[in-house]
This record gives sequence, structure tokens and C-alpha cells, in this order.
Amino acid sequence: MNYILHLLIMIEIYLILAYGLNLVVGFGGLLSLCHAVFYGIGAYASTLLMIKTGISFLPAMLMGMAITALFAFLVGIPALRFRGDHFVLVTLGFQMIVFTVLYNWVGLTRGPYGIPGIPRPVVFGYEITSLIGYLILVGVILMVTIIILFILYKSPFGLALKALRDDEMAAEGLGKSPIHTFLYAFIIAGGFASLAGSLYATYVTYIDPTSFTLDESIFLLSVLLVGGTGNRLGPLVGVVFMILLPEALRFLGLPDTVAPNVRQMIYGLTLILLMFLRPQGIAGEYKINHYGKAEN
Amino acid sequence: MEKLKIKNISKAINGLKIVDRVTASFLPGRITGLIGPNGAGKTTLFHIITGELRSDTGEINYRGEDITLLPPYRVARKGIGRLFQDVRVFENLTVSENVVSACYDHRVETPWFPFLRKKRWKALERDFKEKSDYYIDYVGLMEVKDVPASSLSYGQQKLLAIARLLAGGFSLLLLDEPTAGLNPVMIKKILNILKRIVAEDQGKTIVLVEHDMSVVTEVADWVYFMNEGRIAFFGRTDHVLGDKEVREIYLGL
Ligand SMILES: Nc1ncnc2c1ncn2[C@@H]1O[C@H](COP(=O)(O)OP(=O)(O)OP(=O)(O)O)[C@@H](O)[C@H]1O
Ligand SMILES: [Mg+2]
Repeated sequence: MNYILHLLIMIEIYLILAYGLNLVVGFGGLLSLCHAVFYGIGAYASTLLMIKTGISFLPAMLMGMAITALFAFLVGIPALRFRGDHFVLVTLGFQMIVFTVLYNWVGLTRGPYGIPGIPRPVVFGYEITSLIGYLILVGVILMVTIIILFILYKSPFGLALKALRDDEMAAEGLGKSPIHTFLYAFIIAGGFASLAGSLYATYVTYIDPTSFTLDESIFLLSVLLVGGTGNRLGPLVGVVFMILLPEALRFLGLPDTVAPNVRQMIYGLTLILLMFLRPQGIAGEYKINHYGKAEN
Repeated sequence: MEKLKIKNISKAINGLKIVDRVTASFLPGRITGLIGPNGAGKTTLFHIITGELRSDTGEINYRGEDITLLPPYRVARKGIGRLFQDVRVFENLTVSENVVSACYDHRVETPWFPFLRKKRWKALERDFKEKSDYYIDYVGLMEVKDVPASSLSYGQQKLLAIARLLAGGFSLLLLDEPTAGLNPVMIKKILNILKRIVAEDQGKTIVLVEHDMSVVTEVADWVYFMNEGRIAFFGRTDHVLGDKEVREIYLGL
């Protein structure tokens, strides 16, 4: 039972990440490889705020969100000068830089030792310690996230993003500003990733930089590639599939030394097969094709 | 009073002069033709006006305002709309979404708008649905209204791009071969739209790049003739088309 609750909580956290990233990847058509950076900065910022200033979870989470949004703005400005492969490489570069900073700025982050003993969240007077409590807390924040993002998905802003994704030159010719629109999407996605990070940190009560590596960013992107992008269903399908797949493998009874490697290989194989069979993802409408962009 | 004035515009790419000291002006309430052989630089001139390309010299003035250095989205917001020679519809959006997207202006396209002005958003959504239906019907695409634009034929995509442009409510239209690839009935229809636009609203200006001389003769009283990056002639359409050199260079007569 605990095991199932744990899986559900992880699914909720990844749904927050995936629905946010969907705005950039699915609606904006920009393959970002630094989403784990925002996830990590949210986790570290809220944790450090709670530990060093003693403020409680909710304000720490919101301040973490503001810090991450600011950071997303600073990353977005240079990254969004590029499109296609170049954008992918620039975000990859940021991912590597931030990981290195988290790993080596021992004075602030304790580097590879990580931060143990992260306080349990106290929300409106209740300390949340049980799995059920976490399931509800993360669930509520996931609901708020989804409500906000679904409104954005069908708003004029969402439509402008899709127009820019499909043909940037034509959309710009109708008065839509690529830099503003993409930057908003990038900041919003970063902000929600930070929420997921704060929740993750207090849930596992320990963070270190290895949770926020390039592998994690690739994983998040694969979630969308597998599930499908640009709509409401895709991220759900992707998260459930990618999180439950390794658990399902667990029941095959592979020895512990082999299981993680097999899991990696199956992830890889799934992606390759999918690109052949269903490039728009299991539940997606829009096929990611970052070569089709107008470049000036 | 001229709506659009371009002065001494030049553009070299890889040392090759593609647009060469072009000066021209376009009056409101009028369709002005821009003709010339393939590779003359007509599309490049449009790119420069809309800010896609930056000219090496000269100045572009729209309604008395210098727009030479503005990025394309700012040029569009001033009221200059463009039909691209390569059409450029939003392929993964439906026909209806394509046209609706042209109706929204940038103040509505901010992420906070739907949260702060929910009522206004819903009202706009309704209005623009109606408005887009009107233009979709106008170009005869009602049957494929909810189909992704990628599944339309080339001609249908062109009609969609025209509907999108009209829905955008622009005051100056730069049309790059609007009738190429369309059937005669549709061409007639498009020409009627164009004539109606300038007849109904004397403030509107249309610049028409076109290789079909019967189209040009029918709707444009004045034309610029462009050759090798330069404006070689300007005058009344029958006059320019009657010119010996134009007939030789361009019409092959
Ligand atoms: N980015 C570029 N790099 C190099 N040359 C270019 C570029 N863009 C345009 N040209 C060249 O500039 C010239 C003018 O092109 P342009 O597209 O403006 O012609 P056009 O008058 O629109 O022709 P058409 O009637 O065939 O559409 C062509 O010779 C073209 O090869
Ligand atoms: Mg051309």
C-alpha cells in the first residue's frame, strides 16, 4: 500500500513538471533540455529558505517559485535567441552549468553531500508526515497547476504559442512577438517546475544535485515525447507510462545489478520505437519537428 | 498623402545587390502593382518593409512614422499585413484557429489576460469566432473549417492565408502573388475582395505583386516595374505594360 502511495505521489510531482514543460515543448515547439534545472532550483531555494530563515513551507515554496521564475527569465533571454538544434544545445549548456554550480558551491548547497533533514511541511497548522498527507498536499497543488495551465492552453496566449511554433514568420507577421511569448512560456514552465521541486524536497527530506542532472531533463523531455504534446492528455499518458514502466519491470524478478541497466535500455528502446511508430507520441496531436522552423 | 514611402532602399546579400536604391510611395484607397521578372527583388523588398530583412541604406516611412528599424511584429502592429509568397499557414491548427489567431491583438495574448479579464476574453472569443466564420465563408472554406490546415490543398491554403490576413484588419496589405495557383472562379473572387477593400475603406492601401498581367490590369491603375533590384518604370498600368523595354524584358513580346 505504501509503495502504491509513493508511486502516486511521484506521478503527481511529475505531472506538475510535465504539464509545465508542455507549454514550452508542446505549444512552443522548443525542445528544452534544462527543465531539471528549474526543478532543482525550486527544491534548493525553498529548502534553504526554510532551513536558513525558518519560514514555513508555503511561503518558502512561493518564494522559491519567484526565484526560479527570475532565473528562467535570465536563461530564456539568451536561449531564445536560438531555435531548433541551437536552442537545444544552449539549454543543454545551462543544464550543465547549473548542475556544476549546485555540485561545487559547497558553502551554499553542501555540494555532493546534499541537504538532509529537510523539515516536513506545516500547512495551515498541520504538519504533514504521512503518505496520505503528502498525496493530498501534492494533489491540491497539482490541481491548481492544472487549472491554471489548462486555462493558458486554451487562451489567446496558448494559441499564439502554437501559431509561433507552426510558422514563426507568419505569426510574427500577424503581430505576435516571438521573444515575449516564448519567454512567458519559459518562465511559467520554470515556475511550475520549481513547485514540483519544493514538494519533492520536503517529501523525500533529502536533496543532492544528482536528482537534477541532464539525465533528469532528458527523462522529462522523453515523458512528453512518449505521451504526446500540445494537448491535455499527452503529459498524463507519458508520466504514467514512464513511471510505471520501470516498476512493472521490477516484477520480472531481475537481479538488482541488472535491473537499472535494463530499465535504461527499455526507456531508450521505447523512444526509438515510438519515433518510428508514432512520432506525435501516444496521445499527442503535434509531431515535434524542430527542423521546420524559419531561421533568420 | 502617401501611406507608405520607401526611400533609397538597398540590400546586398553576399556582395550581390538584390535591391538597389528603390524609392517608391503608395497611396491610400488604391491598389498599386509591383511587377517584374523572377528574381527582380520584389519579395526581398517586402521582406525589408516588414522588417524581416534590414536594408543597408535608406528609410521606410509609414503614415509619417519611421519604421525602418522595427522588428516584424512591431511593423505588423502598426497595421501592415502581408501575404507570403510561400503561403505559411499554421499547419497544426484548424482552419478556424488559423483565422481566429489573426483576430487577437497582443494585449490579449499575455498569459495574465484570461485570469484578469475573464469576461472580456469570453466575449472576444465569441466575437472572433463569428468574425472568422465570416471570412472563412467569404473564401469558401466553410466545409473544411475544423480540419487542420496541413490537410488543405495549396490553393485552399492560399485562400486560408487570405482569410487570415483580412481578419487581421490591416490597413496596408502587401500581397505576394495572391492569385498564383488559384482557379479562375477563385481569382475573380479574390479580385473582388481586393477591389472592395479599397472601395469600402479609402484609408486602405494594397501593394500587389503579380505575374498574371490580366489581374494587374484589372485591379491596379498604377504599377512599379522592377528589374534587377531597381525600379525601372513607374506609371499607369497600360502605359508601363505598353513600354517597349518592359515588353521585351518581361513579357517577351
Ligand atoms: N537570403 C538570400 N541569399 C542569397 N540570395 C538571395 C536571398 N534572398 C533572395 N536572394 C536572391 O535575390 C534575388 C531576388 O529574389 P526575390 O525573391 O526578391 O525575387 P522576386 O522578385 O520575388 O522573384 P519571383 O517573382 O520569382 O518571386 C534572387 O536572385 C534571389 O536568388
Ligand atoms: Mg517573389
